[in-house]
Amino acid sequence: MEMKSNAAKSNAALHKRIKELERQLDEARDTIEAIRTGQIDALVVSGNNGHALYTLQSADHSYRVFIEKMVEGAVSLNASGLIIYSNSRFASMVGLPLTKVIGTHFREFVAKESTDTYDSIFGQGWSQDIKREIFLSSPGRKVPVQLSVNPLQVDAGSLLNIIITDLTLLKETEGALKDKTLQLERLNNALAKSNDDLQQFASVASHDLQEPLRKIQVFSRFLKDANFEQLPDSAKQFVDKIILSSNRMKALILDILNYSRLSADDQNFEPVDLTALMAEITADFELVIEEKNALIEIGDLPVVEGNRGQLRQVFSNLISNALKFTRANVRPSIVVGSRKIVPGDFGFIAGDEKKYCSIFVKDNGIGFDQKFAFSIFSLFEKLNPKSTFEGSGIGLAIAKKIIDKHQGTIHAKSKANEGSEFNIILPFTPINPNG
Amino acid sequence: MAKKVILVEDDPDDRDLFVIFYRERNDIELLPSVGNGIELIEYLESRPGGEGLPDLIVLDQNMPVMNGKQTLAFLKSNNRFSNIPAVVYSTYSDKTLIRECTQLGANMVVMKPIDKDGYQQMMDQFLLGI
Repeated sequence: MEMKSNAAKSNAALHKRIKELERQLDEARDTIEAIRTGQIDALVVSGNNGHALYTLQSADHSYRVFIEKMVEGAVSLNASGLIIYSNSRFASMVGLPLTKVIGTHFREFVAKESTDTYDSIFGQGWSQDIKREIFLSSPGRKVPVQLSVNPLQVDAGSLLNIIITDLTLLKETEGALKDKTLQLERLNNALAKSNDDLQQFASVASHDLQEPLRKIQVFSRFLKDANFEQLPDSAKQFVDKIILSSNRMKALILDILNYSRLSADDQNFEPVDLTALMAEITADFELVIEEKNALIEIGDLPVVEGNRGQLRQVFSNLISNALKFTRANVRPSIVVGSRKIVPGDFGFIAGDEKKYCSIFVKDNGIGFDQKFAFSIFSLFEKLNPKSTFEGSGIGLAIAKKIIDKHQGTIHAKSKANEGSEFNIILPFTPINPNG
Repeated sequence: MAKKVILVEDDPDDRDLFVIFYRERNDIELLPSVGNGIELIEYLESRPGGEGLPDLIVLDQNMPVMNGKQTLAFLKSNNRFSNIPAVVYSTYSDKTLIRECTQLGANMVVMKPIDKDGYQQMMDQFLLGI
């Protein structure tokens, strides 16, 4: 019985001993962790001969250097708010020598409008960490700063440590940024308004221009139908000229309306099969194609995402031009096809061939001097006398605007009397700006 | 029997053109034209028994006081007049005008013609639809 009891006792003692050792091990682990993460620079170890204090060599010194080198100001206040330690950075913030700063109440450096805030920080700072923005007064200016306050218990009692971050530069940058943002906003609004105005103008002008124009069309035809034979020959010519001019003006107005409406149209993007689209367009031009005995060759074209009506207009305009600007005695030939995107071309990078496609429309017509390759896409730009080639000069401008809206590009290559080639690069899936 | 057609149009030239181009047609009888929607309503209201009501109303879109769309909206919300076929003809028309007028109940929306043939074809189209 006794043996058993003794064994039980020593078993319990062993368990207790193990627990104690586990606790010590945990403590040692914590200490090592604390040293490793730099939380402490001194430690007390209890040993057989009482407590022993271990300090890390020169830890105190390196902290002081560190604090002196900081871009932030650092001060310690005693219970009454007196500065008992300050780094030189803080002294330079308030524009005083360090010796004059130490022993002064911190409150004296606080700008008048911030004293209330400071008082409340000082009140709460002893029990919790606080971050707050205030103004310090410095000779000749006020300094916006952020105070970050935390209490510290030391042997001598409690201290309030304050890190002072100078926000002058930050505030200036913030202010400048705000100004720029406002300016940008104003410009944006002005731009939106002027865009609106322009569209309004184009629409009103074109609508209102059409009423008197229609009268000219109606009555010039009237004159021709009803009284033509009574007119002298010269007058007959004039009537014909009026009719032709008024027709041209009508076409011009409709084109302007069309152009201005492009910005207003909402973008309904859908998959557009360009091969099918080209088939429709060639059918539209069947008469002219026959009349001019033109050869039309349509290669394999991709499917892109876009506004079908608008893309139709682009290719329709290009084909119409190709059929219009033909050379006499040369059988017109138009080739439409697509090319692979080659990384390196036009700043394309590898992988772009999956994102973009390149489509060309090539003819053997009169062409143009390459120096006009950019200006042909401007509104009303015409390179040919209207006596030879009828047109409003808006077709290519419309084409460019549409391609722009599809986030693509269009450019032209040509040589006078050899033909032109238009190249369109389109993303397969443009990002719809209207979401 | 000749269809009674009333033109609602503020432009005197365009009113003259109706007379000039249509006076020889015997399938229509032109009622005296009125200058805007209000005048049309007054004309219609002045025929309480339904005697002399038009078989077709041709509305110009751009008119002072009460334009084509507004007139159309009034006609189609009025029990007595909502079943009189009405069409809109305009110097300019776009998708929006066509959609709006069609929604309001217009039988047809067309551009104003500029010559004799155009006028005859337009009226043929109108009469086909009623």
